[in-house]
Amino acid sequence: MTELLSLSNIRAGYGESVVLQDLSLVVREGEMVCLIGANGSGKTTTTRVLTGLLKPWGGQVAFAGTPIDNIAANHRVELGVSLAPEGRQVFPNLTVNENLLLGSYSRRARPQRKRTLAEVYELFPILASRRTQKAGLMSGGEQQMLAIGRALMARPKLLVLDEPSLGLAPKIVLDVYRAIVRTAEQGVSILFVEQNVRAALSIAHRGYVLANGRIAFAGSAAELRNSKLVQEAFLAPRRTNQGPAPVKVSPISTQREGGFG
Amino acid sequence: MSLLPQFLIDSILLGGLYTLMAIGFALAFGVTRIINFAHGEFIMLGAYAAFWLFTGWGLDPLAVMPAVIVLGFACGWLLFKAFIERVLTAPNINQILLTFAIGLVIQHIAVILWSGNSRSTTPEYALKALTIGDAFIPYGRLIGCGVAVLLVAMLIAWLKWAEDGRAVRAVAQNSDAATLMGINVKGIYALSFALSSALGVATGVVVSFIITVTPFMGFPMLVKAVAIVIVAGMGSIVGMVVGAFVLAFAETGFAYYVAEGSGWAEGVAFVLITAILIIRPYGLFGDAEA
Repeated sequence: MTELLSLSNIRAGYGESVVLQDLSLVVREGEMVCLIGANGSGKTTTTRVLTGLLKPWGGQVAFAGTPIDNIAANHRVELGVSLAPEGRQVFPNLTVNENLLLGSYSRRARPQRKRTLAEVYELFPILASRRTQKAGLMSGGEQQMLAIGRALMARPKLLVLDEPSLGLAPKIVLDVYRAIVRTAEQGVSILFVEQNVRAALSIAHRGYVLANGRIAFAGSAAELRNSKLVQEAFLAPRRTNQGPAPVKVSPISTQREGGFG
Repeated sequence: MSLLPQFLIDSILLGGLYTLMAIGFALAFGVTRIINFAHGEFIMLGAYAAFWLFTGWGLDPLAVMPAVIVLGFACGWLLFKAFIERVLTAPNINQILLTFAIGLVIQHIAVILWSGNSRSTTPEYALKALTIGDAFIPYGRLIGCGVAVLLVAMLIAWLKWAEDGRAVRAVAQNSDAATLMGINVKGIYALSFALSSALGVATGVVVSFIITVTPFMGFPMLVKAVAIVIVAGMGSIVGMVVGAFVLAFAETGFAYYVAEGSGWAEGVAFVLITAILIIRPYGLFGDAEA
């Protein structure tokens, strides 16, 4: 399988605080890869670097074999990278349908908008029934589905999902995961960030464990499940070696109140 | 003779104008989060453009309006690219000083070029009025209000249905998420600022045949636009329309029903700003967290 996305030796952070020390990972075509790690280990920073929202201090990001370090975030969408960001970040005052239409704003996606919209509504029937509702008034699960649907509207080659199960009821997590698997079956490569390690490893082909801004472990889903590191840190009923709690460095929020329209 | 019909007519006609003035101002602010203190000067430039084209060439203000709007759009775009874009991430005080300074410079260039004299544009319709019973409806104000409502309706339709209009709303709500949609956020900032300037000069063209044109006419209008945005709260076009009419009714009511009120009416905007900021700082239609 050819490499679709590769991050090599990425160093990144905010202000003076280093978040990613030296991160390298690869997603191949057709793969479903999960990135797991504790709070503050750098998972969201990784998604911000690969989508171009955050400029790394060092290292290289390549997509489909070409370095894309100098390509602006909005142009990376045209290449086929699409992110459903942490905290969903739907446009709260816009309707569900408007949110989805914005997902296909790119030139890449616009010609096939009608078809993609029908596909997304088919994948998430709940969104179809909420078409004209304001996104901000929906439940967390519905907003998550909207965020994923919006990302799919760009017709990505690589879909990146940041904590798709965060804050959702177990039944809803199942719905969301089913949709992710169906998307993967249609040939979209998927990189997803999770804290819900058990759930993540149930669908991923491979996984990376991120700790202190580095890849601490990598392997197939089975290898991760059986590794001592993952068992102790994430799967054990009680954590056995709790080090000092890592400091969570939040990216500067650009979610704005109000807005216009 | 009852003052009521006349009061209602005057308030409504003024409210339409105020809506255009406030929405033009709020568009740039809502999207770029930079308060354009030079917006009043764009109104002034639009009014002078209409005045000179009428006085020099006999061109009707309404006929030249599309051309003036295009010119205002271009000037707004250039202003954004040359100055505003450089302070997008600067502290608020730098942004305020910059736009305030731009306003002062434009105002004084106008004084140098055209002197401080009051001028008025007098197309034929500005001198006529319609009388219904006791009420008196100046055609100029009626036409001005009509044009203003038309422009606002066009803007709302564009924001609602056009691809880039939707992108403007998306950027106003969450610029990072908008970037992830493939939207060029800085491009949308420039577009919003340019459109805001275009609406500013359009406001100027409309008021050119209603009030007197001077280099200093911009600032009081800016204050009123700010008052309307504060009354409305950020983020709601409906709120902006309501705010515009609140101010129009308050000013007109003050002028009609308070002894010696017409002299004080101009101060009503300040009273509204103060009152709303004390009682409901997020505005009538804004979110409490905003």
